[in-house]
Amino acid sequence: MAIALAGFEERLKELGLGEGWVWNNGSWWLTPQEAIDVRATTEFMLKLDARFVAITAIEREDKEIRLDYQWDLNGQLLSFITATAERQIPSIADLSPAADWVERETREYFAVEFTGRENTKPLMTRAGDAIGINLHKEVEK
Amino acid sequence: MSFRIPIGPYHPALEEPYKLELVCDGETVRDAVMHVGFNFRGIEYLAERRNYLQGITLVERVCGICSNVHSLSFCQSVEQLNGATPPERALYIRVILAELERLHSHFLWSGVAAKLIGFKTVFMTCFTLREKVMDALSAISGNRVNYGMNRIGGVNRDIADPQAVLNILGEMEHGITSAIIPIFLEDRTVASRCKGVGILTNAQAKAMGAVGPLARASGVPQDIRKAAPYAAYERFEFNVPVETDGDVRARLVVHALEMIESCRILRQALSTLPEGPFHTTPPTAARFKVPAGTAISRVEAPRGEVVYQITSNGTETPERVRVRTPTFMNMATVRFTVLGQELGDSPLIQASCDPCYSCTDR
Repeated sequence: MAIALAGFEERLKELGLGEGWVWNNGSWWLTPQEAIDVRATTEFMLKLDARFVAITAIEREDKEIRLDYQWDLNGQLLSFITATAERQIPSIADLSPAADWVERETREYFAVEFTGRENTKPLMTRAGDAIGINLHKEVEK
Repeated sequence: MSFRIPIGPYHPALEEPYKLELVCDGETVRDAVMHVGFNFRGIEYLAERRNYLQGITLVERVCGICSNVHSLSFCQSVEQLNGATPPERALYIRVILAELERLHSHFLWSGVAAKLIGFKTVFMTCFTLREKVMDALSAISGNRVNYGMNRIGGVNRDIADPQAVLNILGEMEHGITSAIIPIFLEDRTVASRCKGVGILTNAQAKAMGAVGPLARASGVPQDIRKAAPYAAYERFEFNVPVETDGDVRARLVVHALEMIESCRILRQALSTLPEGPFHTTPPTAARFKVPAGTAISRVEAPRGEVVYQITSNGTETPERVRVRTPTFMNMATVRFTVLGQELGDSPLIQASCDPCYSCTDR
């Protein structure tokens, strides 16, 4: 199993990524959670030559979607937790093209609107298909 | 005059369902649009409705080529949450399975690439060698596709006779060094067919988050086995082949050299397989109920980094199982690699990304 690089939280602090980094179960997590600006964070991570890894959507009871943004910095996985506001969040695909397909998939499966996107063509679904069904727990209720 | 060629989603030339629309100007490709999702099976959705033991069996069906890495990533995530520590022998066996799987995937890819190059005798050679790997996997696990080897806290079956696998390994190494390496690295026909074709620049690979051999052929030296070692990888010596040209030939070279490195790892692991148990057995309740929390596991699959994120709410069923596969990141690069290329080269260029749509669509 991947282990934390000793002293990496100090390195993250020096790089300007803030304090409050905690290693937990395979990733560094920034605490407190839900306080990040995804676009500013993306610009900063790209300056550090970090690699975009994934966005993980998790449904919350208040109908919003928790979104975990993951980046790889020198082999260490960094996770930023944030959440949608009224099911919307700014897109980062123009800053990091690697996020393009991930955002499109998340939109189609969880009905999250990534604002500011130029390309909203379906990726995993077909034109005319309803969004927010395939992985959405809410439709069961 | 521009014309649009729609290929797929179901077409005799495609191994798996996807749709590619090529916009051509004469014989030159000017744009490409990809459509995926035709193989969607709702694996993540289903995994969130089954217990953790059922989840292992389910995620192994994400892909028919790299089935082992999916169950390995899943188990590693759960082990982080419930604290089950696999014994040393299990970690070695996990490496052996993972490298045999990489070999059979790379043989398959090499065979398909050789066929598209027009070198069908190499296709036959690759598939003959692949059969030897399948024999080894079958001898170890009893299965050729879904091995059922990983469990939470170790592996399900021991490797009782490592020497038998070492003997098969010797035959494979001979085949790789005497046939595949000379043809992929030195043959002039292969070089003329592949050199300068389908280039993915280093900047494009980084921007698109490309992973695995595709990224390493474009000068991105990342390999999760080295960058964030798991199982027993940090105990073995091996190199990560990196090429900088970013073309189809560079991908051929990286795949061929990676096969040699896999053999190196296998030889070390099989020769030094530690004695002892091959699994721990957590109490029954711990196997079904996993403490609340989130865990992430990354594994270097044959096609690149696989990421599993599991969020548990403390019940018997995971709240969220997220699977990010390597092809999901790599396929978007096809748009860059086919631009300005000959239409006749586009099948080889697409195949050189080593796509897997079962993984992409899940």
